[in-house]
Amino acid sequence: MEEKLLTNLFEIKDSFTIDVYLEHDGYKAVEKAFQEMNPESILAEVKNANLRGRGGAGFPAGVKWGFVPKDVDKPKYLCVNADEGEPGTIKDRYIMTHDPHLLLEGIIIASYCVGINTAYIYIRGEYENVALRLEKAIAEANAKGYLGKNILNSGFDCQIYVHRGAGAYICGEETALLESLEGKRGNPRLKPPFPALVGLFQSPTVINNIETLSNVPKIILNGADWFVQTGLPKDGGTRIFGISGMVQKPGIYEMPVGTSLKDIIFKVAGGMKDGKKLKAVIPGGMSAPILTADEVDITMDFDSLAEAKSMLGSAAIIVIDENTPILDVLKKITKFYSHESCGQCTPCRIGTNWINKTVQRIAEGQGKIEDIDNIIRLASNILGKTLCPMGDAAAMPILSIVNKFRQEIESYIGN
Amino acid sequence: MVKIFIDEKPLEVEEGITVFSAAEQAGIEIPHFCYHPAFAPEGTCRMCLIEIEGVPKLELACAEVVRDGMKVSTNNAKVVEARKGVLEFLLADHPMDCPICDQAGDCKLQDYYEQYGMLESQFSEVKEKRDKKRKIGQKLIHDQERCVLCRRCVRFTREVTKTQELGVFERGVHAEINILEDLPVDNKYSGNLAQICPVGAITDLDFRFQTRSWFLKSGDSICPLCSRGCSISVDSHRGFYRFKVPKRVYRIRSRRNDDVNGFWICDIGRYGYGYINENRLGQILSKNDRNEAINWEKALNMLSEKMKKVHPMDRTSGAVLIINPWLTNEELFLIKKFLIENQEFKNVYLIDIPDGEGDDFLITTERSPNKRGLQELGVKTKSLSSDKLPEKIKLVLAFSPPNIDAEGLASVKAVFDLAETKILFTSHENDLSNTADMVFPTAVIAEKEGSLINIDGVLQKFSPALEALGDSRPEWQILIELAKEIDTNYKYYNQFSSPEAILQEMRKEISDFGKKSD
Repeated sequence: MEEKLLTNLFEIKDSFTIDVYLEHDGYKAVEKAFQEMNPESILAEVKNANLRGRGGAGFPAGVKWGFVPKDVDKPKYLCVNADEGEPGTIKDRYIMTHDPHLLLEGIIIASYCVGINTAYIYIRGEYENVALRLEKAIAEANAKGYLGKNILNSGFDCQIYVHRGAGAYICGEETALLESLEGKRGNPRLKPPFPALVGLFQSPTVINNIETLSNVPKIILNGADWFVQTGLPKDGGTRIFGISGMVQKPGIYEMPVGTSLKDIIFKVAGGMKDGKKLKAVIPGGMSAPILTADEVDITMDFDSLAEAKSMLGSAAIIVIDENTPILDVLKKITKFYSHESCGQCTPCRIGTNWINKTVQRIAEGQGKIEDIDNIIRLASNILGKTLCPMGDAAAMPILSIVNKFRQEIESYIGN
Repeated sequence: MVKIFIDEKPLEVEEGITVFSAAEQAGIEIPHFCYHPAFAPEGTCRMCLIEIEGVPKLELACAEVVRDGMKVSTNNAKVVEARKGVLEFLLADHPMDCPICDQAGDCKLQDYYEQYGMLESQFSEVKEKRDKKRKIGQKLIHDQERCVLCRRCVRFTREVTKTQELGVFERGVHAEINILEDLPVDNKYSGNLAQICPVGAITDLDFRFQTRSWFLKSGDSICPLCSRGCSISVDSHRGFYRFKVPKRVYRIRSRRNDDVNGFWICDIGRYGYGYINENRLGQILSKNDRNEAINWEKALNMLSEKMKKVHPMDRTSGAVLIINPWLTNEELFLIKKFLIENQEFKNVYLIDIPDGEGDDFLITTERSPNKRGLQELGVKTKSLSSDKLPEKIKLVLAFSPPNIDAEGLASVKAVFDLAETKILFTSHENDLSNTADMVFPTAVIAEKEGSLINIDGVLQKFSPALEALGDSRPEWQILIELAKEIDTNYKYYNQFSSPEAILQEMRKEISDFGKKSD
């Protein structure tokens, strides 16, 4: 069931070194891109592969690259989002730890395709060891001539820098990431203008997730058709699912896009821990609306989950069993979003704090029955009304939990 | 031009403007906190949400640029609901201390609450406790409980003064506007911060707890404290029936004028209004009957007799006229026509007003409002401090400015000491008023109508922002009455019913007056 496309080297000793990487077709995609392809054909290949963003929003990478204007007198930048802040998500850390050169190769190809000479990897501050490993990998690639000036005599220059964040969830939001990278407070920007036109240092910028870029060398080597066949026609390739919570074997599993959620939980992850019954699943990182046990018969791709009014997000699956009070889940969620709101816009700043206070009060046994409708009303007043998508990220899980588990929450009130 | 519809009203508007500006042009007000025309849209308060036909989410009026055929709704049910939601959030943590808040009456939060809600609070949590009186500047207090984090103040210190004293600290609900420790707001434009705060978060120590804004009457005027001539609003008390109000003017605020000062004024102009209230002269003084009130008719009659007594020969050599650059164009014109040309005053002196420190924004080194008007009128003056005085002086007419300093007073006093008859026109009581034979109380700029020419040659008209104090009168009115009394070309002066009429005559006689612009 597993399909090891990106994770194929993970179990090999010293897979993070350039020597092991080169032994396993490493940097062959860069060579192919320079020798057999040009920026236009690379872009076409990535577009045809329907490689959708692995960070959460699922925006097609090729289309995003295409938005960057060709002829500008400013430098263009690639920002690699390694903030990986969405609770439950651990996949990018594994890629960077075990196969950093795959990421670097993806960055070089993407940069060549869009005409970028400088790329920044914005990595969350807590990933200290990972950042050090990335820096080592960059040094290796520089020494072997895969980075720097005139890479492989192609005339193309590219340099990659690692920038460590300071631990704010909001800096995973792409425009807040840009602000933070510029040395400012990590507040999301008002869009438009979009980063493709006005991004880092006011210049055209591409922002991609680690996993997204790591797919690029595979697409270049094996072709778009192969990639689409691996996954779904409109959603190609595999996903690295990060499974956490009450399962027998939590961890990361790479499987084709469109794998059944039920199979992932009960077959791949070994089923429920201690034989408990499944209560609910958060399918795509904490901001994805919750699915009840009755709703897990679903395939894991952007469109199917959107149809079920949830989202694939970062494909981080959080499994909740019957022994876990749903109020505990809600408490964690409201506390997290209240704590991580940047405070810039009104609904998120005050709304998440208000809801959190109400939920904590319910948990302390001081709830009133009208609190439930009030939470729904407040979350609806955040949804779709904030400056950045983080308002929705807070409101969606809250709304889905309160609506789907209303009875259980009511049972905490009044006794 | 693009054609758009706002609330079904068809409009032709300029390309590239925002929906907010388009609505404003159509007289439709869109509620807002963070938007301010001086700054780029911030989009954080979320109050100006509007619905655009065909767009699923509500958009921001402050940031959305008009497109041809766009259909905007600024007040449908969905929009109103969203705004109520935002207001509810803002009010949830608000301290509701309007009864002791200076902003009450001028507050957007109050206005919108009346407009959109009057709802019962659904907030049953504990409110956040924050610092309510952090001193962030010499004259500024920040109340973090009232703050809606619109960041207007932060943007002002970043974009206008470029002094960057203010910033946002902490995150989420703990986010707060603050200064770095020991680095308070310290710039010459700090008073604008209290004015642009849409709520009562930044209050001005000068105005704090002095009065309620609804007791004030606001009048437009021009700041006379330097030669920039910034547009201002003068807020004076309406008065009470039963007891005396301690002050007349309570505050000065900047008024938008894109040609001169934009949205701002300096702290000199904002806080330097004390002269309008203090040491004012409210009645005519005459040496013979110092303690007796004397009316204008009688006083002007006495003055004209005194003037007529001076022999024409003496007028040229032994009569002195002292003027100042606070006089309006119209007043200077009357002085030129009536006193200098008709009455042949040849010894014309100008009271020197010392320069101050200027900057590269609004403040000029010249600290009087109308030196340029004086130049353009072509009135030749001598300097009181450096030029020689006549040996024998029969009569002196002195017009004293409100901000005359000790040196200025001494220089006029030196003339008075040589003169037989000393006539003083002044808005303020000073050492000269005791030595003069007659003292006529005059109005200050804020109480006058007329025009001034600023340092860049911009001619600006203004009207009285408040009534003249007591018996005081503007100099133009005094001069016309006096000219008619002396009966020199009665018809000419009788046509001047207002400063506007004088200005029209000036423009006829001096063709390029007020048209020179650097």
